[in-house]
Amino acid sequence: MTRAGWASSLRFRLLAATVLALSVALLLAGLLLSGFFKQEVERQFEATLRQQLDQLTSSLEFNTAGELLPMVRTLPDPRWQRPYSGLYWQIDGPENVQRSRSLWDAVLTLPADPLSDGQVHAHQSAGPQGARLLVLERSVHAPEFPASAWRVAVAADTRSTQDAVKRFGSVLVFSLSALLLLLVLAAFPQVYVGLRPLRSLEQALKELREGRSQALQGNFPQELLPLTNDFNRVLERQAQTLARARQQAGNLAHAVKTPLAVLSQAVVQSQTGSAGTSPAQLAQLVNEQVALANRHIDWHLARARSAGAHRLPGQRTPVAPALAGLVRVMQRVHAARELHIELDAPGPADTTDAGLVFAGEEQDLQEMLGNLLDNACKWARHSVHVHAQALPRSNAGGQLLVRIEDDGAGIDESLRLQVLSRGVRADESVPGSGLGLAIVADLVALYGGSLQLGQSALGGLKVELLLPSVQ
Amino acid sequence: MRVLVAEDEPTLSAQLCAALTDAGYAVDAALNGREACYQGEVQAYDAVVLDLGLPELDGISVLKRWRGGGRSMPVLILTARDQWHEKVAGIDVGADDYLTKPFHMEELLARLRALIRRAQGLASPTLTCGELTLDTRSSRVSLAGMPVNLTSHEYKVLAYLMHRPNVVVSRTELTEHIYAQDFDRDSNTIEVFVGRLRKKMPPELIETVRGMGYRLVPPA
Repeated sequence: MTRAGWASSLRFRLLAATVLALSVALLLAGLLLSGFFKQEVERQFEATLRQQLDQLTSSLEFNTAGELLPMVRTLPDPRWQRPYSGLYWQIDGPENVQRSRSLWDAVLTLPADPLSDGQVHAHQSAGPQGARLLVLERSVHAPEFPASAWRVAVAADTRSTQDAVKRFGSVLVFSLSALLLLLVLAAFPQVYVGLRPLRSLEQALKELREGRSQALQGNFPQELLPLTNDFNRVLERQAQTLARARQQAGNLAHAVKTPLAVLSQAVVQSQTGSAGTSPAQLAQLVNEQVALANRHIDWHLARARSAGAHRLPGQRTPVAPALAGLVRVMQRVHAARELHIELDAPGPADTTDAGLVFAGEEQDLQEMLGNLLDNACKWARHSVHVHAQALPRSNAGGQLLVRIEDDGAGIDESLRLQVLSRGVRADESVPGSGLGLAIVADLVALYGGSLQLGQSALGGLKVELLLPSVQ
Repeated sequence: MRVLVAEDEPTLSAQLCAALTDAGYAVDAALNGREACYQGEVQAYDAVVLDLGLPELDGISVLKRWRGGGRSMPVLILTARDQWHEKVAGIDVGADDYLTKPFHMEELLARLRALIRRAQGLASPTLTCGELTLDTRSSRVSLAGMPVNLTSHEYKVLAYLMHRPNVVVSRTELTEHIYAQDFDRDSNTIEVFVGRLRKKMPPELIETVRGMGYRLVPPA
C-alpha cells in the first residue's frame, strides 16, 4: 500500500483516532491526578503543622505579670530537639526571643505583618541550610494582659512534600504510559474485528467478479446491509435488463427478417416471371418493406433505450430546460410558418419548485416531449401552448403535468385510442413514421405515468402527460 | 444553387449527391468533418446538408466554427435515430432544420428548398417575376402559363437569379453557385446561358449591369 493509500485506509484512520483520543484523555487524567495529589499533600502538611502550632500554643505558660515563661515542658515530637531536623518553633516577645533547639543558631525571619488575636498566618520563608519552610504563626498574650503579645511561629521544611509530589508524578507518568500502550494494543484487534466485514465484502466482490456467485453473499453487519442490498438490486436489475435486451434483440431480428423474407421471395418470383413482379410493383414492394423494417427498428430502439435506463434510482432531469430546448428547435424548424409557441413552465431559476424535476432519464423526457411537441407543431395552424406544473403530492409520490395544446385539426375521438398504437397514422399525407405517439405512450407507461388525448380550447389536440417527479 | 453534402457514409453520400444533382443543384461532397469545415469556410454554398456524426470533427463542432466565422448559409442537420438532445444542440449552435435518419429523399429535397427560400426571405415554393413562374418543387418554369423548356444549366442560372430579384449578381457568383467544385469552370459560358435564356423569355427581364453582372428586373 502506498503512503497516501495507507493514510487514507480505514484501519489507519481508526487507529490514529484511537491513539490521539487516548493520549489526550490520559494526559488530561495525569494532569488532574497530579494536581489533585499535590494539593492534598500540601493540605495535609499544613494541617499537621497547624496541630504543632496548637500544641506549642497550649504548652505556653505565663507568670502573674503576664510574661511568658521560658519553655520548660518538652514537646513530644523529637524533631524539636534535633538540630536542623526540619521542624522548628520560635516565639518573638516584646523583650526576648525563644527558639526551639532544632533551630540551633538560625533564626526564623518573620514578615512584619500585624496579627490580630487568634489569627493564623501562613507564609513561605527561607530556612537553615537552604531549606524552603512553610511558616505558621499566631499572636498570643496572657489572659489578663492583652497589651503584651507574643508571636508564636512553627515552621517545617516542605522538601518532603515536594519529594512526594515528584515521586507520585513519575509513578503516574509510568503507569499512564503503560496504560496507553495497553489500550492501543487492545485497539488493534478491535479495528481488525470491526473491519472484518469489509474484507468479507471484498471477498464476495471477488467471487462475483470471477463469476463464482451471482450476488453479494455472506452475513454482513447491519451497517453494510443497505449497501450490499442495493448492490444486489442493481445486479439483479442489470441481469433483467440484459435478459430484456437479449429478448428485444431477438424480437428485432425477427421483425426485420420478415420484410427481408418477403423481399427475397419477391426476387425469386421476379426471376421466374410470376405475376405482379413488374419493376414498378417491385419498387413499391421494396419501399413498403423497407419502411416497415425501419419502423420496427425505430420502435425497438426506443423501447430498448427506455427499458435499459428505466427507473434507475437517483435520476433527475429538470423539465423547464428540456422544454425550452425543444421549443427552440421547433421555433427554428417552423420559422417560416410564424408559429407562436407559448411555453409556461417554472424556469430553472425557480429552484423552490422542486416538483418540476422529472424522475428519469433526460433522453426519455426529450423523446416524449419532443415527439408530442413535434406533432403539435406539425398540425398547428398558428399557435401551440406548452404548460408544465407540479401536482400536489399524492400517495403515488410526486407527479408533474405537461400539457401540450395546438390549434390544428385535432384528432377525432374515435381515432384517439388508435393513434396511440404502433404504426397508425391519422394522416398519411404528412411525413412521419406513425411511431411518435406510440413510443411516447410506451415510455409513459414504463415510467408509470399516463397520457391522455383530448380536445383543446385552442381547437386542436390537447395532450396531457403525467410523469413521476423528484421532490 | 450550390449545396454541400457532409456525410461520411459513402453510399448515403453518393445517393444524396445523385438526388440533389438530379434536382438541379450543384453538389460538393465532404466525407469527414475537417473537410466539410474547410469547404464551408472557403466556398459559397446556398445550403448544407450536415450529418452530425462525422469522423475527425463532429457536425456540431463544424457548425459552431462556421457560425463563429460568420458563415450564415442555411444548414440542415441529419441526426441518427430520434436523438432529441442532438437536435437541440444542433439548433442551438445555428442549424436551421433537422431530419432524422432514415429519411425519404423527397422530404430532404422539400426541406432544403424551403430552407433556401427562407434564407432569401421568400415564403412560397413558387417564385414569380412578372409572367414568369418558377416552381422550386418541380423545377418547372412557365411563362404566362406556358411551359418553358430549359436545359439544366439554364435552369440553374435562372433559379439563382429568381431567388434574388432586383439584386445584381456577378458572373463569378453565378459560376460559384451553379457549378460544383470539381467542375471545369468558365465564366464566359454564363454569358451563353443568359443569352439563351433571353431568347426564351422577355429579354428585358434579365438586365446586364455593365462591369458588375446581371439583375432580374420584374416588369413595373
